[in-house]
Amino acid sequence: MAFLQISEPGESPEPHTRRLAVGIDLGTTNSIVATIRNAVPECLPDRDGHTMLPSAVQYAENGSVIVGEEALKHRGDDALNTITSVKRFMGRSVADLRGDTDARYNFTTPNGDGKGSLKIVTRQGAMSPIEVSADILKTLKARAEESLGGELYGAVITVPAYFDDAQRQATKDAAKLAGLNVLRLLNEPTAAAVAYGLDQHAEGTFLIYDLGGGTFDVSILRLSRGVFEVLATTGDTSLGGDDFDAALAKYAFDTWALTRALSPAGQANLLAAARAAKEALTNDPVATIRVDWGCGFDSKVDVTREKYVELTQPLIERTMSAIKRTMRDAKLKADEIDGVVLVGGATRTPAVRAALEAHFGKPPLATMNPDEVVALGAAIQADQLAGNKSGEGESHLLLDVIPLSLGLETMGGLVEKIIPRNSTIPVAKAQEFTTFKDGQTAMALHVVQGERELVSDCRSLARFELRGIPPMVAGSARIRVTFQVDADGLLSVSSTETTSNVRAEVTVKPSYGLGDGEIANMLQSAFASANTDMAARALAEARVDALALVTALSNALVADRALLSEAEHAALHSQITHLKSLAESSDHRAIVRASEALNQASTDFAGRRMDRAVREAFTGRDIEKIV
Amino acid sequence: MNYFSTFDLPAAFVVNVSQLAARYRDLQAAVHPDRFVNATDPEKRVAMERAVEVNDAYVALKDPVRRAMHLLELVNIKGMDEKNTAMPFDFLAEQIEWREALADAKLKEDEERLEEMASELSGMLVSLGDTFAAAYMGEHFAVATTLARKMRFVQKLIEEAESALADLGQ
Repeated sequence: MAFLQISEPGESPEPHTRRLAVGIDLGTTNSIVATIRNAVPECLPDRDGHTMLPSAVQYAENGSVIVGEEALKHRGDDALNTITSVKRFMGRSVADLRGDTDARYNFTTPNGDGKGSLKIVTRQGAMSPIEVSADILKTLKARAEESLGGELYGAVITVPAYFDDAQRQATKDAAKLAGLNVLRLLNEPTAAAVAYGLDQHAEGTFLIYDLGGGTFDVSILRLSRGVFEVLATTGDTSLGGDDFDAALAKYAFDTWALTRALSPAGQANLLAAARAAKEALTNDPVATIRVDWGCGFDSKVDVTREKYVELTQPLIERTMSAIKRTMRDAKLKADEIDGVVLVGGATRTPAVRAALEAHFGKPPLATMNPDEVVALGAAIQADQLAGNKSGEGESHLLLDVIPLSLGLETMGGLVEKIIPRNSTIPVAKAQEFTTFKDGQTAMALHVVQGERELVSDCRSLARFELRGIPPMVAGSARIRVTFQVDADGLLSVSSTETTSNVRAEVTVKPSYGLGDGEIANMLQSAFASANTDMAARALAEARVDALALVTALSNALVADRALLSEAEHAALHSQITHLKSLAESSDHRAIVRASEALNQASTDFAGRRMDRAVREAFTGRDIEKIV
Repeated sequence: MNYFSTFDLPAAFVVNVSQLAARYRDLQAAVHPDRFVNATDPEKRVAMERAVEVNDAYVALKDPVRRAMHLLELVNIKGMDEKNTAMPFDFLAEQIEWREALADAKLKEDEERLEEMASELSGMLVSLGDTFAAAYMGEHFAVATTLARKMRFVQKLIEEAESALADLGQ
């Protein structure tokens, strides 16, 4: 039987209304933008034909911002103002920095007190990693709009599966700052699985081994009839191809027995030389690391492939233990994996492939370009989320998970887990807490993420307070805390005292991401010269939303007339007609109000349609069983 | 909330796991918010709620202990009533022995022994489940409740062994 389709008549836009949507792999070392053209996913090249954009941003002397290959050229001569591997700093504080590899820049914090999200000091001012990432995204957005000849409707941005909430939020903020409508944050290994699975018509259980420039993820997915179900994921957000370069660089440094610490420029040159040697070792048995220090002075050292394997063995071991952990979480044995899919340029390292082959007893699958597969998968998902897909057999479904447990701090600095890791999203969980003291009127809630039992070992995501609890005897208040994780993997938390109905709500972002206010400020300064007519924009948006609602609901009324009584049908129909005529007026508030009223009025109908869809899902299955 | 009816399955302990997985995928394919990108806001909201419900029910039904507890709930028995945790003495004594053995293996970092214990305990969980299924079907709910609690104890031990193994694998 063909994959069961619930076709929504409203979900099939005419060909001419096809929305421009892209997938963006915002990588540590390189970034890529891809789209669906003529039903095929493809990466969009720049004018010189390069699809990969080095994730490097130079804040130049003359005030310009240079992104990509051009910026990379200045990594040596303008090291402090040329930012590379900014992804490592997303959603991070100064306390998270790793001394040896991250010492390349001057860091500061918003209030100069070492607290909060870090900023990188450049000659153009202190830049947050969000702003630097936004500059990379702007370049890709411009490339896509030039190439596709129109404004983008939206984008799917990929993130490492093991990114925590702060890192995800920072990524979403960067995209917003770049002026992108974020259709979804998608986990990189999941994106790769989509591209691979659809390209190869794969069915079964697959392990995605994703070794990027600066992050490492393992995800296990079950692919069955168009459904991509993530069973478990693990990773390490501070392990990647960069570390392989660093291992080689350290070897060279130690061999040369240099007496002084390197300048930022010297360090950048050494890393570049190590990287070149690493790439050469993919095909050659020996490579030379050679650095020209200037003034006629240079150093070089030969590295054999055996030496390289020895130097990087501890890194590969770390990835193998992550695999074991994921297999355990998914409750699977090595022989139950149908294939291992390689993602990320660093998987070209022969020692990685050898280790995987030894563990799984079969060579990993490398049929797709490991650099591009993530962006291609993101493009496929973007196309679907933009509503461009509709036909039978075309659409697929992703069921992804959260990588790290979410919980609350309780007495004694312990963590009470509310949502365990590897829970399929969307997910919502509620837990009841109570007061500790008599007459307690407020409760401080501290939201954390991680697997450890102590709060101090987990990542702090947010703190908020529920105030106005009526004074009661200790232990008699009922504080219900609800965690909800949406399809982007982002958390929102709300709490209610159930005997009095006092509510408090937060979308978890204050600790590390930017507040909406800050984003608005940045956007305003970015668009100051554009001088958009806000009122006209608001009206246009209200009209578009109203007409989308009218179309979707009219289609639903035709499709599911039988689910409504005469009177109900007539009532909805007249409200639709009313909204349609109102949309031609220029009162945007009235349009918004009428849209809200119609949404409200159609809620019950929406529920009935969903019940019908569920019944059909089961009926479809029964038919399959009989046939 | 009856998780079994969410999946259109009879309320029984024995569940065909691959059938459950297939129905889960069919259900999500019907209700997942990603299927409703061009739909009205109420439809998106309902889709979100349903997807959450289906995920919740699936997690509960996949897990033998939660499945047992849910079956008890359906006949109005609170399996994990904290005021009533009395367990047979011999069972508790056995638990203490297991706990000591686990702690010992953990201390010695005896991976092989931990693996053995995890698999022996898993076997115990399966056979307790079989007995639970029979007791529940025969409507011997008091017996079933004790069995469900025993399952819970054994599952905790399994989790401990698994997490010790995970720590050793680092």
